[in-house]
Order: sequence, then structure tokens, then C-alpha cells
Amino acid sequence: MIIKCPYCGPRDVIEFIYQGDATRSRPEPASNDMAAWNAYVYDRANPSGSHREYWLHSGGCRQHLVVTRDVSTHAISSVVFARDAAVAVKSGEPA
Amino acid sequence: MAEPQSPLGASYVPGDHGNAAAGIGVTLRERKGLSIIQVTAWSEAIPAMLTAIGSATGLALQNKPGLGRVAGEKSVFGFAPGRYLVVSATPELETRLRSVIAPDLGTIIDLTHGRTVIRISGPRSEWVLSKLFAIDFSEHAFAIGNGRATLHHDIHANIQRIDDETFDVYVFRTFARSFWATLGHAAEEVGYRVE
Amino acid sequence: MTSSRLSKGGRIDRSKSVRFTFDGKAYSGHTGDTLASALLANGITLFGRSFKYHRPRGVFAAGSDEPNALVTVLAGEVREPNVRATELEIHDGLVTQSQNRFPSLEHDFLAINQLAGPLFSAGFYYKTFMGPAIGPLRGTRFWMFCEKFIRRAAGLGKAGIAADPDRYERMNAFCDVLVVGSGPAGLIAAEAAASTGARVIIAEERPLAGGSLLASGELIDGRNPAVWAREKAAALAAMPNVRFLTRTSVWGYYDGNVLTAVEHVSDYKPNRTKGQPRQRHWVIRTGRTVLATGAFERPMVFPGNDCPGVMLADAARRYAIEYGVAPGNNVTLFTNNDSAYDAARTMSLAGVNITAIIDVRPDVSGTCRDIASVAGAELFLAHAVTATHAGKALSSITVQHFNAGTGRVSGAPRELKTDCLGVSGGWSPAIHLASQAGGKPDWDEDLQAFLPPEPNQNWVTTGSAAGYMDTISVLSDAATKGSAKSRLVLPPVEAPMLDASPAPVFEIEPSAKSQKAFVDFQHDVTADDIRLAYREGFHSVEHLKRYTTLGMATDQGKTSNVPGLAIMADVRGISIPEAGTTRFRPPFTPVSLGAIAGERYGDLRPHRLTPMHDWHLANSAKTYEAGLWHRPMIYASHGETVEQAYTREARAVRQSVGIVDVSTLGKIDIQGPDAAEFLDRVYTNMFSTLPVGKARYGLMLREDGVAFDDGTTWRLAETQFLMTTTTANAGPVMQHLEYYLDCIWPNLRVHLTSVTDVWAGSAVSGPKARAVLEACVTGTKVDNVTLPFMGIVHGKIGGIPVMICRLSFSGELAYEVYCGAGFGTKVWETLLVAGEPFDIMPYGLEALGTLRIEKGHVTGAEIDGRTTAHDLHLDWMLSKKKPYIGSAMIGREGLTDENRLSLVGLISMDNQSITGGSHIVTDPVPREPADSFGHVTAACYSPALGKYIALALVKHGTSMIGNRAFATDLLRDKHCPVEIVSHHMFDPEGSRMHG
Repeated sequence: MIIKCPYCGPRDVIEFIYQGDATRSRPEPASNDMAAWNAYVYDRANPSGSHREYWLHSGGCRQHLVVTRDVSTHAISSVVFARDAAVAVKSGEPA
Repeated sequence: MAEPQSPLGASYVPGDHGNAAAGIGVTLRERKGLSIIQVTAWSEAIPAMLTAIGSATGLALQNKPGLGRVAGEKSVFGFAPGRYLVVSATPELETRLRSVIAPDLGTIIDLTHGRTVIRISGPRSEWVLSKLFAIDFSEHAFAIGNGRATLHHDIHANIQRIDDETFDVYVFRTFARSFWATLGHAAEEVGYRVE
Repeated sequence: MTSSRLSKGGRIDRSKSVRFTFDGKAYSGHTGDTLASALLANGITLFGRSFKYHRPRGVFAAGSDEPNALVTVLAGEVREPNVRATELEIHDGLVTQSQNRFPSLEHDFLAINQLAGPLFSAGFYYKTFMGPAIGPLRGTRFWMFCEKFIRRAAGLGKAGIAADPDRYERMNAFCDVLVVGSGPAGLIAAEAAASTGARVIIAEERPLAGGSLLASGELIDGRNPAVWAREKAAALAAMPNVRFLTRTSVWGYYDGNVLTAVEHVSDYKPNRTKGQPRQRHWVIRTGRTVLATGAFERPMVFPGNDCPGVMLADAARRYAIEYGVAPGNNVTLFTNNDSAYDAARTMSLAGVNITAIIDVRPDVSGTCRDIASVAGAELFLAHAVTATHAGKALSSITVQHFNAGTGRVSGAPRELKTDCLGVSGGWSPAIHLASQAGGKPDWDEDLQAFLPPEPNQNWVTTGSAAGYMDTISVLSDAATKGSAKSRLVLPPVEAPMLDASPAPVFEIEPSAKSQKAFVDFQHDVTADDIRLAYREGFHSVEHLKRYTTLGMATDQGKTSNVPGLAIMADVRGISIPEAGTTRFRPPFTPVSLGAIAGERYGDLRPHRLTPMHDWHLANSAKTYEAGLWHRPMIYASHGETVEQAYTREARAVRQSVGIVDVSTLGKIDIQGPDAAEFLDRVYTNMFSTLPVGKARYGLMLREDGVAFDDGTTWRLAETQFLMTTTTANAGPVMQHLEYYLDCIWPNLRVHLTSVTDVWAGSAVSGPKARAVLEACVTGTKVDNVTLPFMGIVHGKIGGIPVMICRLSFSGELAYEVYCGAGFGTKVWETLLVAGEPFDIMPYGLEALGTLRIEKGHVTGAEIDGRTTAHDLHLDWMLSKKKPYIGSAMIGREGLTDENRLSLVGLISMDNQSITGGSHIVTDPVPREPADSFGHVTAACYSPALGKYIALALVKHGTSMIGNRAFATDLLRDKHCPVEIVSHHMFDPEGSRMHG
């Protein structure tokens, strides 16, 4: 599989480390909402089809990426820096 | 002050190796005596940082992924967003960079002791490097002066293209001897010379 | 002698003879021969014995589809089994052996298996070796008992046990267009693509380009097509934007248009130049792939179709035309389509005697009739071969009238003398790579074959792989598929008007008394096996494949796939596309593991060495691997045991002073205005309050509240920290921090850089540590006021700038001295000289471990991914003033349960060592299941206490202190009585390190 890093360009999947589901959202640090924490830490949907995933380009620019990938065909429809996606979410824009 | 010790030790053996009888495909050498400074810009300050690097080194860059420039012993290249290696044979490099890079531009860290620089040159350098790294070394994909971050198995490397058949490979010091052995092994087929 | 060398023809170099051996006998062939062609030229037709029945088998094909003629290549102690004789190029000194026979190919003991034929039908092993419901051999245990005997009798070649001395390499390649195959389609597609300036790689599995053109009887551009192909290939190879790889089999098609190939760089040569690999494993990333992989001829399934002398019609043609070998003196052909007539015509022109053509079809074209009559071959229309007569070689066949519509055989049998029968059951496009790439193949009624699926990645198929069976349409298709923009002028082709579309006849069904009719030659699967599988309920192709093992041998069913499906569809009364097909998987052809391992063969991981590594080795360090690192375990003195050595080293630290290399600790530079805030969030304790020039011990948790890593972090400036991590967790901690900065807190202005390699670290520990530093450090004082516990100073040692932090892992007065890695050895040696008056002792990991066990300091053995800060008595580090990673989850029931394991010390009561990993039990020899209530995490002999001690995680740990138990190791049968004590076993007040 090839992931097209927005900085480094297309690279083999061996340069990347899977860092989990990118659809989860972390509660506010001081939150006591245990259900929300539980959902963040443990609950993972296992959808067929398109999925947002974190991948760390550990063997390249060391940026976390949000990769939108169809898990049944492995087709990748978008790759963006996680930092940009996170900033977009924080400022209320769709990621 | 004493010379820093090379991590390559006894594995650095000058002379001709491998299938050298059929010609020298590549020449390998360790570049020593360099200052290797990593500069990282805050994301909004990348253009200002590039200007600052340009004023300290005379090597001005555009803000595009992986761009770099080389002038003699001096070089600079990007390998991650806002992150550059600035390299020079002058020990004052860090001081000069600090004098032009204010904290609101970004941060500076001296990696001189943490990186070993191996220069590979010769007509078969693309071929030999392609055995180890899964990146496209052809000149149209990897232009002179530009940089890359990649890895060979567990060994991270920054690679800068110096000219059409010369590359500098920056590896982490503690992996350097292992990498040197692997590189020599890969070069045996084409014959190699250690300077 | 049946097969023989023709007096002329072929691409072999008749001026060069090559000597090789097969089963101990010397033969000679010519440069350009394969083992198969050279042996056929020597009259050898028996190549091996079959998988299950040990039936005699000959050469069946002429390329990578060969199911029968597998040999073992021997080179000294090294043996490579299952090499296809049809692809193996001979060279001087080549030593080969036939397979699956005992004691010899001619006289095979297990050929008796043939008489037991029905026994070995599909599912035989499952049915026979399932043991009784009870008893010692119940269920599958009986199979496991019998398996080793069965394995010896059945199977393919034997794998070698000697280490492979050869070199293999990986090569990474990038291109715009990859063309797989260099037959007429591949050559034209590559030319079209290359003419547009695209970067093209063309991969050909055979030694030279041309594919079907090498044995063609047509004319291209008025010339011999083999010559045309050679010139075309040479012109392509000379283009700067083309890489032409021969002897390179593309075997895998992966996501993202990544294809893998094996190039046989030198294994066809008697000698290799220095550094030349035997094989090169190409990983090719391509923009677009053109699959010009050709088509495989299919056999007909009929009784006795597996005896030596029966081969594919196209294979017979290739031996004659490419290698100048007559496959027999009287060659007959059996076909359901026109392509066998082209084979007959071409062979006849080359001087091969064609005596008969048996065709299942009731009528054929005038062209076919003309070919038969010109060749002098008797034509049997509406006939089929119903038996073969052979010992070790074919002597005659039986033909009978056959109705292609009903499949019925009738009329009087007639025996025809022949020593080679060429069969053609039609052609199957080689869709393997396309199938690997994904998608379901399409059935083509006309060709009676599966065509490639709709592309789901950027690839196309062309030529016969795409179902074009005549050269003119192949060339025009290839030009378009190579590049839509190309304006190639295609050469004229002169070829007879023939139609490769077969009659839909796959099998001549055997009568009750007739011979076995084989579908999968390599796995000895017969047509009857498929019918049996159906009767026993295995209807789906997936079940059929697994139950009968059809198509699961090393040839992956290249010849057997479609006939097998056709027979299954027939018994189910459905069409072939309704029966479906299985997906092809990599590899297309077998690949040696050495090629995949590449340059990592024999040396799987890089070695990571500290700056002082050479000093350690020169000073008798025994090292071991800790992750990728090589670290001194002990510095061995003559005749000492490991325990004696580390005891000596640890004692020296407690009594005077020792020095240890701590360069392996993970080190992360953390800079930026938000660095302190960031550390407050990732550590359980507070770092924003840490003054510049001071260090603090920190603990990190995972998000779920479980302990993750610990280490000291030093504040070097207001906005700069140096974090240290455990050696093993350096990478994971870096990732952890990067994750939070990138994904959770992108607005924090913090930069992270791994600086593990920048610094060499030497820890000087012991009551005399300060005296050692005082003797060599310049530019700063190191007294208790200037350098208090957890203080940091900058100075020089031997003129080298150093950074010294006073912190202690050993529990003694101790300092970590950091300097630029290039000066590590220099500073280390200077410290040793300064320590000479105090008998400074270098110590290794064993002594380091001993000192920390005595002190109850935790490492990865205790921070094991299951323990909490409470379990490790580190709850004092949990800040109540701020949230941190893990703070939300740490109070959960399961993490605060009083039944959890917690850290204690153990002291051996019988003066015997405690084994790491032992379980803590009350009963010395526990019954099954063990009533364990804890386990030993680390154990050693403690010179400070004069006892064997250990750290352990024990249920109700703290309240168990003072109790006795056993540390029991059932594997080694060691049961050590222990007393449970506090984990602070030595100097619990910590007075020594503060001294």
C-alpha cells in the first residue's frame, strides 16, 4: 500500500505507523464524563467502507496524518496533516 | 579541543572494495568537521524563517516540501514541514543562526554529534541507494539540492542530492556503523572506493 | 530414444557445449538450453515421480506452467527443490536431481501406490487418519502420529538444511509504465509508451524477449518473428527512458500499483562476480501497469493423459523451434481448437514428423485440412484419445469416435503408434496478476476461458492476456494500450487463418475400466476426485479447491484451473461462470525466501552502538542485545561467573565508585513557549514549577490510566527541556508525544526532536563519585551547594564541554555526565583516570539491575503495561492540581481494586537464587491449576544485603509484608522459600544519594 504524504509524497506503507481511529474526540482534559472518556479510549466502530485513520509518517517527516481509506478496497481518498484537521475541528470547520 | 570520534571506527577501511576490478561504481566517504543544525519554524513563520536562514547562510529557499540548496561545504534542505537541516563546515553556524532566528520564528537544536554524514558519489550511486531506500532517486523526481526523510529498515536517514550522481546520507550516529556495513555490502556489486 | 536433437534450428548456440548432471549421470547440452530441452535432446523423457501415486512423469510444458518436471538443484550442501526444469538454464557444472522417488527414478518403491489408487482419492487423509473418539490417539492425534510417515512418502522435493551462502538483494524502482511480458503485445505496448517519453520498465520472465514469437511460424515485417522481436527488444533497451529486465518474473500485484518481481541475476551462471547477487527482488511502484502476460495452453483431460510423452502441443512446438529438439519421432496431436494445427505446421517445417491429428470437432476449416495434408498427418475428426500406452515413455495411443455434443465415446478403438502426443484444450489468458489486483474475471464463451476483470487500479491487459489470439489484433491492441497517444506504424503480419476458439470439450470421461484422467498433475488430482468431492458435498469452488487440493501446488493450477472448474460445473449441471473461480494469490511463480529477505539475510536488524562501544569491547565487556542496542552486561574478569562479575561491580559502586554507560537512555529535546505546559499535561506531576537548571523525576500514564514510562526531565532554559525516557520506550514515548501535539493539542507551540544520538552519557555512582568529578571537572564546582540533588551544571572534562546532572538510579551519590557523542569515549576515559585513586569500576547492565533491585526502583519489568502508579507505590507523583494524560481514567474501580498486584521485595530464605518469572504461591508444589498470587519481575544476588533478592508483583502486596511464601518455577522445578518485604530493600531512607 502507498500513502501519499502531503509533505514527502507517495511512500510505502512500511514508513508509516497506524495510530488508530481518527473519528474519536478527546473530552476536555478536566472532564469527569466517564462515558465520554470510555468512548474516547475504548469504543471503536468497525465500519466497512470509508474510514478516517491516523497514520504517523514515522519513517519520513514524522507528521501524523489523517488518512481517509476504504477499508474493504484499501483505496485512499484523502490524506491531510492531522494538525490541520485538528485545528479545523477546533475552529468549528468540517475536517 | 580534540577531534570528535567517528562512529565508524575500524569498519571505515580506505581503499577499493567489492567488484572494483570491473571499475569503481561509487565512492564513499564520511564527511567530518561539519556543524549540523536543525531549525524548526512555527507554522506561520516559515517564510520568515527561510529568509533568516538565507541571511545566515546565503542559501535562500522557497517554501516548498523538500527543497534545498548546496554551495560547496554549505547546504540546507527541508525534510518535514517547517523543519530544515542547515549544514556548514564552520563551527560558528549555530551562533549565526541564533543571531537571526528569534524565538517567534522557531527553535534551533544542534545535532552535530547525533548525525553521521556519508557521501556517496559515482555513476552507480542511484542504483546502490535504490537497493536500500524506497524512494525515487531519479533526477526528475529528486532534484539537486533537495532533501528527503526516509528509512532503511530501522535506520532513519535524511538524504540530500548534491549533484547528478552525488548524495549525502545523514544517519543517526548510533546506527552509523551498521548502516555503513549495509551500504558497503550493497555497493560491492558495482565496486566501491572508500576515500 | 524417442526425443532427439534436430540437425538444425533453435536459438541454442550449437558451437558451445555445456556439461551438467542429472541424477548423477553426466550429459551435455548447448548454451541456451533449459534442463528440459537438454535432457529431451539426450532422449530422456522420464523426469520425476508424481506427488501422491509416484507415477512416472515427463515434461509437460515449456515454461513457468510446468507441473511435472520439477528437479532439485544441488550446489555443495545447498539444495534448492522444486525448480522447473523447463525454466532452469543449464550451465557448466550444474548438478540436478529428480524428486519424489526412492531409491531411484527408474525403480521407485512407492510406485506401488498406483495399485492402491482408490485409497488416495480426494479427502483420503481426512477420512483415514481421523482417530477414534476416545483413547490416546483420539481425534486428530492419530493424524499427528501418522503424519510424519505420510509426509515422507508424499510430496515434492526436500528442502535443504544447510545455510544458503548466496547473496540476495532488494531493488526499489519507480516508473510511469510497467509492462509485464515481452511477447508481441509487451514489445509493442512498451514501444508505444516509451515513444511518448514515459519512464518504462519491461519485465520478461524468460532469458530473452519475444514470448510466443520465439516459436512462431508466422512472418512479421516479412521476417522471422524471433529476429524481429530481438531487434525490437534491443532498440527498446537502448532507450534512456526504458529499463529492460529479462529473467524477471513479476509475481505479485499489491495495492497502490506496487508490483514485486524476482530477477535471476546470476543463478544461471557457473560463477558470480564479487558482490553479485543470485537473485534480485524488485519492488516496482508504477503509475500504470500493462499486463502483457500471454496465455497458457490448457491440457485435455483424458484417460492416461499424464504419462511421459504427453505434453502441451505448444510445448512440443517450442522444443522443436526454440531449442531444435524433436519431441518425438512420431508426433501426434490431440486438440479441440485450431492452434494445434499451427503447431503441426511449424514443427513439420522444422523437420518433425507429424503422424496424426485427432480433433474432437466433427469438422474443421480448409486451412486446417491443408495443414494436415501438407504435414502428411492423418486427420481424425470427431475423435478422441481414450487411452495411452506407456511404460516410462509413450509408445501408442488409443483413439475412438467421439461426439463433442454428447461427450460420448463410441466405435471400435484404434491404436496409433506415437512417442509424443501434443495436446491442446484451448488457451487461458494469464490473468493471475490481474486477479491478484482484484475483481472477478469474466467468462468468455468464444474462448471458453476467463478474461481479466475490470481494472480496479491503474492497469490494463493486452495481447492474448486480454483474449486477442491472432498476432494482427494483438499488435494493434498493444499499441493502443501502451499509449493512447502513440502513433506507431505496425508491421505487416503473414499468418495462416486459424481460430483458437475451442470446442467446449474439456474432458474425455473415462469408462469404469479406463486409466486415471488427471486434471492437476502436480497434486495428482483426477477428474474422478472432483466428481467424488461433489458427491461428498463439496460443491463450491472454494471447497472443491481445499478438499481436493486442486490448483494448490507450486504451479497454482496454471494448467488445471479451467479444466477443473469445467468438470465441476458439468457435474453440478451449471455453466462454468456460474461455478465461479477462485482468486489468484501471490506469488505467480515460486519465490525463494532468500530473495524476499534480500540484504537482511542472516542479519535481521541493525546494531545500535553507543559512542563508547569500542572501549567496552576492548575492556572485556560481554555485551547483550537490548532492543537494537548492544550493551555491556558485565566486564568479565578471568574465570568469573556472571554473578561473580556483577556482584564485584555492584559492590564497588556501594563501597567506592563505579561508572556505567547510560547513552542508550531515550532523550527528547522539547522546546517552545508551551513546553512546560505540555509537560504538565503529559506527566502526572508538575513541571511548570521546575526551575531552570534543575531536573525532576517524572511519570507518564497512558490514556487508560496505566503506567507508561518514567524518567527524569531537565529544564535547560525557560522554554527548553531535555526529557529522558527508558531505553526501551524511547520510540514509543516520542510517538506518544507527537500524537498529542499533532492530533489533540495542535495549538501548543512545542517542537520535539529526538536527541538520543547527540549525547553520550556516563553515570558515575558511589560514595566517591563527587571526588571523581572534583578531580576532573573544570569551569564549575560540583559541591553539594552548587550541584545539589537534581541539580544541573555545565562545565568541562578534559577540555570537552559537559552537562552534569546529579541524579541516582543506584541509590548512591551519583551524577550523569553528558557530552557530545563524538567525545563520549574521551570523557569516559578521563573520568576513569580521575577515578583511578578510588578504584573506579566500570559496571554493566547486570550490576545496574542489581543496584536498582536493591533500591526497589522500577523499570520496564514492573512498568509492564498492566501496572498503575498505585501498584508501583508511585502514587505520590500523581498531581491533584491539574489534569494529565490518564488522570480521568486512573480512579476506575478496576485500577483501584485492593486485590491488585503491587510491588514488594522478596528475600530468599534458603540462600538459593530466585528465578525471574517465578510465581508466588503458598504451597511449594501447587496443584493444577496453580494458585499463584503474584510473580517475580526481577531477581539477583545482592552484595549489599548478602542475600538473593527479587522484586515481585503480589496480590495485597503491602499487607503481605512479613509473610512467607514460595517463588516457584514449574518449568525448572525450582521452589524457593521467600520472605515478602518492602521493595525498598536497601537504604530505605535514601540517605546515601542525598549525602
